[in-house]
Amino acid sequence: MHRLIIALVCVVFSSAGLRAAGTGTDAAPVKPAARASWVMNFDSDWLVAKGLPEKIMLLSLQGLANRAAPQLYVVHPKEFQWEITGPLFEFYQRKHGVVFTEVKTADAALTLFGRHAKGYVIWEPVVPATMNVAFTIAGLEDALVVTAEQVAQVEKFGLKRIDDLRGRYTGQTDAQIYRDAYARYWARCTHDSIMLMGGHVGAVRMPAMADWGVRQKMFFHDLSANPIHPEEVALGKKLFSEMTPLGTVFGWHSYGKDTEEQHTTLLSGYGLRMEGLHNLPNLSFNCQFTFTPGFKFTNNHQVPLDAKLTAQQKVYISFVQSDSIGIGVWTKPGRGKLPFGWQVTVNWTKFSPAALEYFHESATKNDYFIGGLSGPGYMYPNHIPADKFELLMADARQLMATLDEHIMEIMDNSAADGNVGNADLTKETVDRYYKAFPDVIGFINGYGPARTRDLRDTRAMISYDYYIDPRRPREEVAADLNELIALNAKRPYFLLVHVRESNDVNSLVEITKQLDGPVEIVPIDAFLKLAASNKTYTTRYQDPDDPKHFKGF
Amino acid sequence: MGSAMKFTFWKALGLLLVLPLAAWAANPALAGRWRLDPKRSTALDGWTAWDLVVSLEGTRVDLRHDMQWRATKLTATNAVDTAKPTTVLDFFRVEQRHMALYPVRGALTPVRAEWLDGERTLRVEATPQIESSQGTGPMRIYQELRLIEGDQELLLIELHSTRGKPLVYRFTKVIGEK
Repeated sequence: MHRLIIALVCVVFSSAGLRAAGTGTDAAPVKPAARASWVMNFDSDWLVAKGLPEKIMLLSLQGLANRAAPQLYVVHPKEFQWEITGPLFEFYQRKHGVVFTEVKTADAALTLFGRHAKGYVIWEPVVPATMNVAFTIAGLEDALVVTAEQVAQVEKFGLKRIDDLRGRYTGQTDAQIYRDAYARYWARCTHDSIMLMGGHVGAVRMPAMADWGVRQKMFFHDLSANPIHPEEVALGKKLFSEMTPLGTVFGWHSYGKDTEEQHTTLLSGYGLRMEGLHNLPNLSFNCQFTFTPGFKFTNNHQVPLDAKLTAQQKVYISFVQSDSIGIGVWTKPGRGKLPFGWQVTVNWTKFSPAALEYFHESATKNDYFIGGLSGPGYMYPNHIPADKFELLMADARQLMATLDEHIMEIMDNSAADGNVGNADLTKETVDRYYKAFPDVIGFINGYGPARTRDLRDTRAMISYDYYIDPRRPREEVAADLNELIALNAKRPYFLLVHVRESNDVNSLVEITKQLDGPVEIVPIDAFLKLAASNKTYTTRYQDPDDPKHFKGF
Repeated sequence: MGSAMKFTFWKALGLLLVLPLAAWAANPALAGRWRLDPKRSTALDGWTAWDLVVSLEGTRVDLRHDMQWRATKLTATNAVDTAKPTTVLDFFRVEQRHMALYPVRGALTPVRAEWLDGERTLRVEATPQIESSQGTGPMRIYQELRLIEGDQELLLIELHSTRGKPLVYRFTKVIGEK
């Protein structure tokens, strides 16, 4: 494991009181009381045959060590998909007074935290599903998850064998394995949430969210939502149907079995919400910090809720990034140079508030936060049962109020094909949103481009007219935008652009210099207000005859 | 004056005779399956593969597009006629799929086609109706399919009345696949 040299003075103070006296928005900074925690620096080796087993053992240890108090945090390399572990590490020190000591080896981690485990469970890499069964056992039995090769290492620390999955599932299908796990463990697991530990498959797996599932005693699985796997779909449905209403599915779908669209559609049909990805790290640590005392979210509103703007004869463009702000653009060069809307996964208020506070603290005046995605978590609203819609949106309204957000972003890719195709909302779904959110500035819809548009009273609903693929040459992006401007010849024209996570703002600045005509880049709240002032766009909903690509259950 | 009129008459007559011949003179080298060379082409957006399959029958030219995006496959054919203007139902345009521009379902698109350059270039002009966020409107599309010397490469240049930048696609002949 890569060892980062960090010189930290280990001053252990009382671990009581997780809230440090932080800097409020209107109070003078107060030095927070210090508290001790530990940090490990992970490398990028998630190979099953190499670095994965040790990480799995450490993640199970992290989940157990963080049960009662936030003790162990993991910093990932900069190239890791979640780029915020480093900035958040610094944030905890500065705002919460956490004094981290680096833990350099697995043995050192076991020395420090081994006492939180009662034993170990052995998984079998040649039967991949045993990793998930072992994680389930880890949460229920306070066990570390190890391979046979790691047994000697953990036994050095006095840990005893709790279970051994070697051979138990040899030759069985995933459906058979998880049916057995269901029978053995599901009743004892939390039903408020479940861990869909899919994502990477094959030679690389990346279960960086496992600490959270172990801490919360979740049932781990990677059941498919693809109809070509009917037995897995059936078991997945059974699990979802037995979850606490409005519960949360953490993790991510298996890249080897089904699609994001298939799985999100399935869980939305049960009124559940998705929180990903499978490699979102440190929730077992993050969930134990609240906002610092005195901190209050204050969004960079450009227009008051009741403002009335009048659009001029020009093209208005607004940029939004919606792939969860912990990924991508936020840490890329150039942020702040353009007005930018950032979709915040509002559920993070519940289990990762410090991360949200970090984003708000580091926001520039051009960064504006909006709620989403579709509700209090990621879900496809065309499939949310009517009797659960209002309950979910009531939760979303409350979370948006906490985060001082005035715009709801909606996404339903259930009929799409990746980030192209049909991302539209039915009229019934649009009606529900207008009813559920009477006090917002407006709504935006889509991921890829979509054509759901509406205007009711002062609230516009605008879909993305363009999606910037980070791989698309910048000159072609400029040509695409100019073509949209040419085809949408009426002025004002409201051009909403979705910026994929891995774009950088500097390149967008260059694109905007190549646009034709009277163009103004505006923040998303002003954009929606302007769009409400002059409806040059058509009203449109999902047409039942529009092409649909979804191959669902 | 009289000789000028005579010249114009004979010239016009000659053109009348020549044009239909040109319209008939399809170049068999264009027929077959052509596969996009993405590295030497304008970047596709929302498509990962594109085969253009050309069939010739008299003055009729069928331009079949075999498209792929991930596991999704789509086949669409635009039939054009080099002897006369036609209309094509649901004209297929290789669109940039991350733009909110959509073909109008069931629309008839006026199309003209003509052989040029000694039948080494097929020119196609079409004006499909396109749905955008402000409604529907025409997009004039001008295409030239040019056979490259050796007849193993095909160059497709496409202009839009709404786009300042040409789209340039290079294809190579695929032997042994229909």
